[in-house]
Amino acid sequence: MWDQFVLNPMINLLLLFYRFLGQQTIIAIAGLTVLVRLLVLPLTLRQQQSARRMQELQPEMEKIQKKYAKDPEKRAQEQMKLYQKAGVSPLGGCLPTFIQFPILIGLWQSIVRVLAVSPLDLLKLSQNIWPFLPNLSSLIPLQSNFLWLDLGQPDRYFVLPALVVVTSWLSQKILTPPATDPNSAAMAQQMQITMPLMFGLISISYASGLSIYFVLSNLITMSTQYLVRRNKSAPTSARGAKERSKE
Amino acid sequence: MTQCPSLDVTNQGDSIRVSEKRLVQGRFYPVTLLLLATLTLSSCGGGARATSWTDLAINDQVIYAADLASIVALDKETGEVVWDSADEADLEGLGPFYTVNLLPETALFVTSQERSGGGLFAQPRGVLRALEWDADDVLWQFTGTTGYYIAPGIVTDNMLIIGNGDGLVYALDAEDGSEVWSFDTGGRVWSTPLVISDTVYVTSLSHRLYALDLATGREVWDGPLETGGAMTAQPLPLDDLLFVGAFDSKIYAVHQEDGSLAWPQPFEGQAWFWGSPATDGTDIYIADVNGNVYAIQAETGTLRWQEAVEGPVARKVLLSPEGDFLLVGNDAGDIIILDTQDGRVLETHDGIGPLGSMALEGHVLYVTRILADQRIQAFEIEPDDIDLLWEYPQPEDN
Repeated sequence: MWDQFVLNPMINLLLLFYRFLGQQTIIAIAGLTVLVRLLVLPLTLRQQQSARRMQELQPEMEKIQKKYAKDPEKRAQEQMKLYQKAGVSPLGGCLPTFIQFPILIGLWQSIVRVLAVSPLDLLKLSQNIWPFLPNLSSLIPLQSNFLWLDLGQPDRYFVLPALVVVTSWLSQKILTPPATDPNSAAMAQQMQITMPLMFGLISISYASGLSIYFVLSNLITMSTQYLVRRNKSAPTSARGAKERSKE
Repeated sequence: MTQCPSLDVTNQGDSIRVSEKRLVQGRFYPVTLLLLATLTLSSCGGGARATSWTDLAINDQVIYAADLASIVALDKETGEVVWDSADEADLEGLGPFYTVNLLPETALFVTSQERSGGGLFAQPRGVLRALEWDADDVLWQFTGTTGYYIAPGIVTDNMLIIGNGDGLVYALDAEDGSEVWSFDTGGRVWSTPLVISDTVYVTSLSHRLYALDLATGREVWDGPLETGGAMTAQPLPLDDLLFVGAFDSKIYAVHQEDGSLAWPQPFEGQAWFWGSPATDGTDIYIADVNGNVYAIQAETGTLRWQEAVEGPVARKVLLSPEGDFLLVGNDAGDIIILDTQDGRVLETHDGIGPLGSMALEGHVLYVTRILADQRIQAFEIEPDDIDLLWEYPQPEDN
């Protein structure tokens, strides 16, 4: 089921990208990463907008928390009212994430699968390639040398893992809204350190093609967030300019 | 990362109940994400899982098998352990071991996939070791490669000829491990080279079949045979021809002398050909990764029959001594007997784990398996019957 609907389409798409983009694995990975991220962009934007709205509600949430500190049930009801009034779903930020998650995992797995460097992985790949697409099998194994890298192997010089850690940290930093309560702040800070390290660790152990995906993905996330913020601030700036011109 | 307020929202009549405990923003979301990532990692691979198939070598009384954690020598008749590398101080904790090869009464050649250095920044590497025949000491080890060994290589003229994942074929002095020559095929070498008189024939994932001079490693043909797909099998010799399949779903018949094609067109199958063919001198038998088994006339390349078995087949097809039946092992580890006359399935023995390798000696089949409790087995094979003789480890030993 997973292979049929998620993994196989991505693997074959990746092979098609490889075939038509100069038989360069790194370009094929970049192409598929950009395409998939574009496809899930509406979900990403919704997730980020939801997070922003939740952040805007934080001061009022705190007031409610203080006011009903001794009455949890009432507090919860008031918080829900606040959400309803603001037109925000408390789970609105999670749902897009969980829809995106399998797609991004599929993308991740497809990159690892097509870069198969072991017999067992390559045998699995043989079952993923659609026979009705002609000559895809002749592309195997993919040309995996790029600069000093063998994309099917971890980066021996740790340049890519370092890039993964840096871009993941930046991406986390940009995405995580400033928390107002200490618990959230502590958690956010912990995540800002843990997640990049985790991805760095994965990059050290796995095919460097996957690290390329991580770096690109982080760059796309940061760009998206930049655009969201710019769009958010644009009307305010325009309004300010208008007001200033009236004066 | 976007933080999700993990609210426990439940409908209770007209009111909505929100659990106080989960109002702390983002407390559970990161944990879930990490958990999912860990699960994903484990599903993607990593850790100590097997990456290749294990191999075995047969001697007069003993079979030597790579069993990942160690190399074991088992009595051929009973399956009792004669020797286990895990008991040797020099070899303890090494591995995983994938291939084993013999130069009888002289040395045992074993390969493993290890990590150089230590800790987090250790790099994977293939290691080839020569073990002293009886004393079990390490005679020499060769670590001058950047890839893994997948196939065991062949010992000839006091040399071990072996391919590596770094794309090179190495000829090493069997006595001291010094490099006699090496040849770059331009792609990973996952097959055991074939040696006929003074020529080495070797396939590569670079889509090529090379003929090399045994003494010097120089190319013998004007150029390699270029096919349309990666090649992972040892070529099968018959008369003055070689037969070999490729991932372009084709079987090639090639003149040993100059690499020219013998059939007007290569035989076209339905999926990748991974394993080597077998022959009875008239027909060649081979299976593809979609489970199609073919009997092809060696002289003309004409299909005689085709039969489908369940599951991908990536191992060599074996032929009975009398040539009356074929043994095919699929990815699930099933052993299937087919009639060589018409391809009828005569018997199927359900597998208990993916097959590593199969070797037939008379009517006794020895197999290694990966990811199974019993990883080495011996079967008595008859055209319509497969009887288990012994297995290792024995079930009660687990």
